[in-house]
Amino acid sequence: MSARLNLVLVLALGALLAGLVALGSSYFHQIAITTMIFVILSASLNLITGSAGLLSLGHAAFFGVGAYAAALLSTRLGWPFWLTLPAAGAAAAAVGALVAVPTMRLTSIYFAVATLGIGEMIYVTMLNWVGFTRGPMGIRSIPGLELWGFKGIAFALVVTAGVMLAVLWLVHRLVHSYYGNAMRALREDDACADAMGIDVGRLKLQAFSVACALAGVAGALFAHTTGYISPESFKFGESILVLSMIVVGGLGSVYGSVIGAVILSVLPELLRELGSWRMIAVGAVLFLSILFLPRGLVGEVSAIELIRRQLRRRDRGDGGARRVAW
Amino acid sequence: MDATVLLQQVVNGLSIGLVYALMAIGFTLIFGVLNVVNFAHGEVYTLGAFVGLIVITALKPPLWLVLVLVLASGALAGIVLERLAFRPFRRFRDEAALKSKAMREATLLSSLAVSIIVREALELKFSGEMQTIAQAYLLQRPIQLGPVTITDGNLIIFALSVAMLAALQFVLYRTRIGLAIRAVSNNVLGAQFVGIDTTRAIVATFVVGSMLGAVAGIMVGLYQGAIFPNMGFEPGVKAFVAMVMGGLSSIPGAVVCALILGVAESVATQFFSDGWKALVSYGFLLATLWFFPAGLFGFKREKM
Amino acid sequence: MTSSIRSLIAAGALLAATGAALAQDIVVGYQIPLTGTQSQYGEVFRNAATMQLEKFNAAGGVGGRKVQIVYEDSKSDPKEAVNIARKFVDDKRIVAVLGDFASGPSMAAGEVYGKEGMPQLSQTASHPDFLKVSNWQFRNITTQAQEGPFNAKWLRDGGIKTVAVIGLQNDWGLSATGEFAKAFEAQGGKVTSTELFNPGARDFKAILTKVVQAKPEAIYFAMFYEEGALILQQAKQLNVAAKLYSASPFYAPKLLELAGPAAEGVLLSTTFVADNPAPHVVAFVGDYKKRFGGEPNQFAAQAYDAVGILLDAIKRVGPNATRAQIRDSLAATANYPGVTGATTFDKVTREPNKTLAKLQIKDGKFVVVH
Repeated sequence: MSARLNLVLVLALGALLAGLVALGSSYFHQIAITTMIFVILSASLNLITGSAGLLSLGHAAFFGVGAYAAALLSTRLGWPFWLTLPAAGAAAAAVGALVAVPTMRLTSIYFAVATLGIGEMIYVTMLNWVGFTRGPMGIRSIPGLELWGFKGIAFALVVTAGVMLAVLWLVHRLVHSYYGNAMRALREDDACADAMGIDVGRLKLQAFSVACALAGVAGALFAHTTGYISPESFKFGESILVLSMIVVGGLGSVYGSVIGAVILSVLPELLRELGSWRMIAVGAVLFLSILFLPRGLVGEVSAIELIRRQLRRRDRGDGGARRVAW
Repeated sequence: MDATVLLQQVVNGLSIGLVYALMAIGFTLIFGVLNVVNFAHGEVYTLGAFVGLIVITALKPPLWLVLVLVLASGALAGIVLERLAFRPFRRFRDEAALKSKAMREATLLSSLAVSIIVREALELKFSGEMQTIAQAYLLQRPIQLGPVTITDGNLIIFALSVAMLAALQFVLYRTRIGLAIRAVSNNVLGAQFVGIDTTRAIVATFVVGSMLGAVAGIMVGLYQGAIFPNMGFEPGVKAFVAMVMGGLSSIPGAVVCALILGVAESVATQFFSDGWKALVSYGFLLATLWFFPAGLFGFKREKM
Repeated sequence: MTSSIRSLIAAGALLAATGAALAQDIVVGYQIPLTGTQSQYGEVFRNAATMQLEKFNAAGGVGGRKVQIVYEDSKSDPKEAVNIARKFVDDKRIVAVLGDFASGPSMAAGEVYGKEGMPQLSQTASHPDFLKVSNWQFRNITTQAQEGPFNAKWLRDGGIKTVAVIGLQNDWGLSATGEFAKAFEAQGGKVTSTELFNPGARDFKAILTKVVQAKPEAIYFAMFYEEGALILQQAKQLNVAAKLYSASPFYAPKLLELAGPAAEGVLLSTTFVADNPAPHVVAFVGDYKKRFGGEPNQFAAQAYDAVGILLDAIKRVGPNATRAQIRDSLAATANYPGVTGATTFDKVTREPNKTLAKLQIKDGKFVVVH
């Protein structure tokens, strides 16, 4: 996928946003903002689960750490959003690094369960440490995104889009680099990667910290654009939601995380007309999408590539040359 | 502090742990054999409870008949689940797909999707609230054993876990289909090479696992007096944790770890508070994994 | 050919007629959990709201114009609540909003309503800071600042000196335990322990065992009726001897169904009493039983009154009410004759002022005691 395609997509996004702002419907703005926050979340999860192959079931907790960091800093210390966002990222990364240390020796499902446990522990702390986080009372009246007099939901939309593009660019660069190759080596066979000289423990820690930092940034955006946060938004169910997004979209692919997030954020809103059948329909869509496209819609080796390869192999008859994925 | 209080808390913890263990047995069986996390196991558990409840409300039969009908419904659920959520992903036979982690996440997600559909459908029909159960069926009669109190439900669930383990041992080690299941659990391709019908073995695994799950559902539902569409979620998570802590392929290991989790929770409530008990039980999990990276009773498995 | 043209014309006429009718209706939004783990509450709210709305429209509506309620499912998820809030705010026809059920979604949506200027009346949001979000928030549920001291006095008057408190770790439970404990100690009693459990807990034996160690004379349960039923059963299993008290969310026929004989003797406070001989309560209970089978619980009564209060406020303004006018009218609510008692909103804080009653469960029924 070329740089030109990326440029076209960014311009298309800009046009879409301009259209939304012109339309003036704050409902669409809100959905767009939530979708973009989840794009950031799924891109960050895709970094560890898709590229590095470490299934993480506690991602929503780091989302929450970032949200609480931003909420506390802005409500108690009056920090503006351009300070709270990086601070939230740093806080989430710190917590992530801290909890990742005991899990460094663990592989796949053990790692997954450890992250599940960590996620639950963070949630319980958020809920019960009432003195610090206000527990189930949550934190209210979090200031919105405001800079030089610009405020309101349209401005929030623009800022969120900007942050999302920055995050996607970062993830894209990480994935399409030698660092990305190292992560994928880790995923395919970590013993082999170790034998080749890759410092497996350090790589896992770094990837995990970066992913948590990005989740923290998403959390900060969530706090500022929602105005009220409470621990119930950061439970295990949310982690599963983000996981579903990347699996539907395609593991290991940046485009995949975008598409997965868009589908699973917009679909429940579109299906509101169905009333009580709405969530059943979402479940059905999830099921059908994974049934027909188990590697995701735009997987690392996309569905289109797979078909093309099959066809080429049949034509050539010589086994076909192995095409390296983009 | 009173020793009897601590003893009562341990007993409380064991009773919670047995609830988790009941769920963990079926869950571990399916994982141990097929290397797939069955996210829908919690829903099979819930379905078992609801089927039992419907039977009780409609026919008011004796308890053993309820169990038989629930077992049948569990078997049916297992067959449907396997057909719907797991079989379509075995159509990829190439090595890249078999090794691919993406494929495994795919079955995780397909079982998750099925669980969402089943749970939402149950909520649609019955609403999210707890269902009323006829008082006569509740397994809640208290029994005094010296300084501690338990209920008849505790004894029945304990007996049931023992029976389940024994039945599983029998099926796995003394029947042909059990042999096939063990072969598939060891090496799927190898089992095919020696002529075992792997599909049948896999379906059998799901049937047995789901039967166990469904019975667990109705028993716990009657013991706790709480049957509602979301009831499978929390025990499901605990069963998953217990399974991994126990070493993935060891069913007795999963049971032991489920009991440890339960006792850890109760004792944590005694010394700290109920709200923080998750820290203690998951702390236990992390500590176990730190010292035993392959679980308490697990040995290094090749395929992960 | 002609028949399909005819049906097209008919459909067009129907559409136009509906459009015209809708254009005349006053529209109110109602956000509640209609799916998810708390859907049972949302359904009850919708039932009660439908009853109140039909009664109101049949009595002439607002100067001849009918009121219509648009329901949206929030799943008790703050994210969804915010989306719905934006949707309602964008819809120019909607002049006021009811809901949500839990405080989380209510607060999150409240931030939007406060910024964009939409009056919001929640039938159950009990978060202590809910009315502080902005001037546009209202609620008609008793606050724990009122119910806590009321119950504390009840226990003290009954001669109880020591009490243990077990509460749900959510905003309602936290304020309920806090207010009760504070008032009880201020009145000279001693709280032996306060235990909070996380939402979703089903086994309370460890908590009960821990709490009875200090041998409190009574235990105060600050939770809703589903956990309540379970904890009552488990208290019976453990032979807990203390007197058991609770608050208004316990007032639900479902509690009796779920807990059975374990609920015998439990004492609780409430605003709504189904046996209240007052004519409007009798009518409400009778209608509800006929239409939906089974007696209404406290939540149904709260919703019924909330809708009634809002409709009353709109009626006082008139058919062309704006959002700001309805807000002011709501703030002026005084002595509204609700089934949960006469309701007045405080002039400064907008908190509702309600009267409470005492109940005991005897022979599987809620009986008023004094």
